[in-house]
Amino acid sequence: MKRAPFSWSMRIGLGILAVYAAVALLALVWTPHDPLSPGVGDSYLAPSAEFPLGTDRLGSDVLSRLMAGTQYNLGIALVAVSIALAVGSLLGVIAGYYGGPLDIAISRGVEVFQAFPGVLFAMLVAKAVGPGVINIILVLSFVGIPDYVRLARAEVQSRRNWPYAEAARMVGNRSWQVAFRHLLPNSTGPLLAFTSINAAFVSLVTASLGFLGLGLSPNTPEWGNMIARGQDGVMTGEWWVSFFPGLAILGMTGAFYLLGDALSDLTDPRRRR
Amino acid sequence: MLRLLLHRALWALPVALGVVTITFFTARLFGGDPTELYAPPEATDELRAQIREKLGLGDPLLVQYLRYLGEIARFDFGISFTTNQPVGQDLTERLPATLELGLIGLGLGILIGVPLGVIAAVSRERVPDFLVRGITLAGMALPQFWIGLVLIWVFFVILGWLPGPVGRLPIGVPLPEPITGFLLVDLALLRDWEKWRLALLQLVLPAGTLAFAMLAPIARVTRSSMVEALQSDYIRTAVAMGFGRRAIWFRYALRNALLPVVTLVGVLAGYVFGGAVLLESIFGWPGLGQYALQAIESSDFAALQGFVIYAALLYVGTFLLVDMLYILIDPRMRT
Repeated sequence: MKRAPFSWSMRIGLGILAVYAAVALLALVWTPHDPLSPGVGDSYLAPSAEFPLGTDRLGSDVLSRLMAGTQYNLGIALVAVSIALAVGSLLGVIAGYYGGPLDIAISRGVEVFQAFPGVLFAMLVAKAVGPGVINIILVLSFVGIPDYVRLARAEVQSRRNWPYAEAARMVGNRSWQVAFRHLLPNSTGPLLAFTSINAAFVSLVTASLGFLGLGLSPNTPEWGNMIARGQDGVMTGEWWVSFFPGLAILGMTGAFYLLGDALSDLTDPRRRR
Repeated sequence: MLRLLLHRALWALPVALGVVTITFFTARLFGGDPTELYAPPEATDELRAQIREKLGLGDPLLVQYLRYLGEIARFDFGISFTTNQPVGQDLTERLPATLELGLIGLGLGILIGVPLGVIAAVSRERVPDFLVRGITLAGMALPQFWIGLVLIWVFFVILGWLPGPVGRLPIGVPLPEPITGFLLVDLALLRDWEKWRLALLQLVLPAGTLAFAMLAPIARVTRSSMVEALQSDYIRTAVAMGFGRRAIWFRYALRNALLPVVTLVGVLAGYVFGGAVLLESIFGWPGLGQYALQAIESSDFAALQGFVIYAALLYVGTFLLVDMLYILIDPRMRT
């Protein structure tokens, strides 16, 4: 039985991500209140008609901050996984296609970096390089690279000597052309599926770094930052400041997971039902 | 097979060396001048020079690196300047709190996650399957610290059923002298059942949060591996031969489906025993994760380096153990 390319999980995943992207764009030009300025309302106002998700301790509008935060959380995730995908597949294809000492060097390096627990390593480096959007993106892509290297390497190595690769060599393609124009495109499916799963992980780590205050400057409306700002309120009953950013994270990460699942169902013949 | 095991064990050594090397140079490159961490702000240049001399910072980097390796080999991680204790001692003191929370959380995660995965697999594309997939998706897509906060809000702030996030015992109740360091075990040994009850109540929310985060990937992997096992030829044969459903599910399919779960549990164990940093910080749990966070916040690089090396080596060790277990339980590996 062949699966339709657009399974329900892919539709839901893509649909949710489209909504997030739309909100991110909308927040560039319009939010109900100024997300960055404190005191647009009193502090800790419960959700109401004027402030649908309430206000935080400093009297900022939670809904406006949530909308503005979409740029940060979605943007950081997308850029970070793109960098990791590009660099990781480059190294992985080289290691898998050429083999030899280059392969050993790359693979051993990957193994060492994978020994560091990802979140912890991200925290350590984020602390060392200091806060900032660019820094966070670089840290998160760096943490992801080893996984892409392993995946791309295994993919290319397993098909290096298949007939179509032989044929490509025989008609006079250079080795890099065979590796990147014939072998790599055939690994797009698994790589993209992993990229989507990785984007979910990156979103969670972004929020964790923000929560710890290691991510972006304190007033940035990043969702992890927002949860941290509401943490004291939770103890005294002002739950809304921390609650809604968590739901926003759930939606985005969940959508990435669904999309990743749908993509690996599509590309892995064993998982086709 | 013995050769395979030995080979795998020896391989852990260069990885461990790589971990220590990277940690050393990351701290040196990014950490700034360590003198600043030890010298008071009003220190004279002369005093600074003395401190540099004492720390051996005047030597070439390579000499410092080799000396550092020697210290690590003797389990000497230096002195933490926030606690004024050897880092090794700090880590050993905090380890039991992390292990206690981690073992209970991971144990609950396995006990709930594996059956959930089996239920989802045998009822594929029907209501129980969708429920389990919804739960696992939420467990994986939500940040642990947020789950923790929401549970605190519901069970402590609103309902008042469980105590607040203040660590292993309520405020004002002194911790007993550690025997094993595992609070529930120690208090049982002391026959202090009233405190034992208090300690258990303190543990419910953090362990519950951790269990929820652990059961999600476990149920997910169990499900997909079980689905695959159920479609295999030997199961079809077993069905054709008229074995009962339960025997097929649990005696044949699940046993084969558990291999990837073993690997996953190994990875998760490496993660929780390294200290679930954010979880411990939410619940005021005095374990390794909280220690690491304090070290990060106060730029205590000796403590941080010690912790990262401990956690990474633990990770390497866990992987080693899992690989060896794999060689032992998977007949295909014995070639």
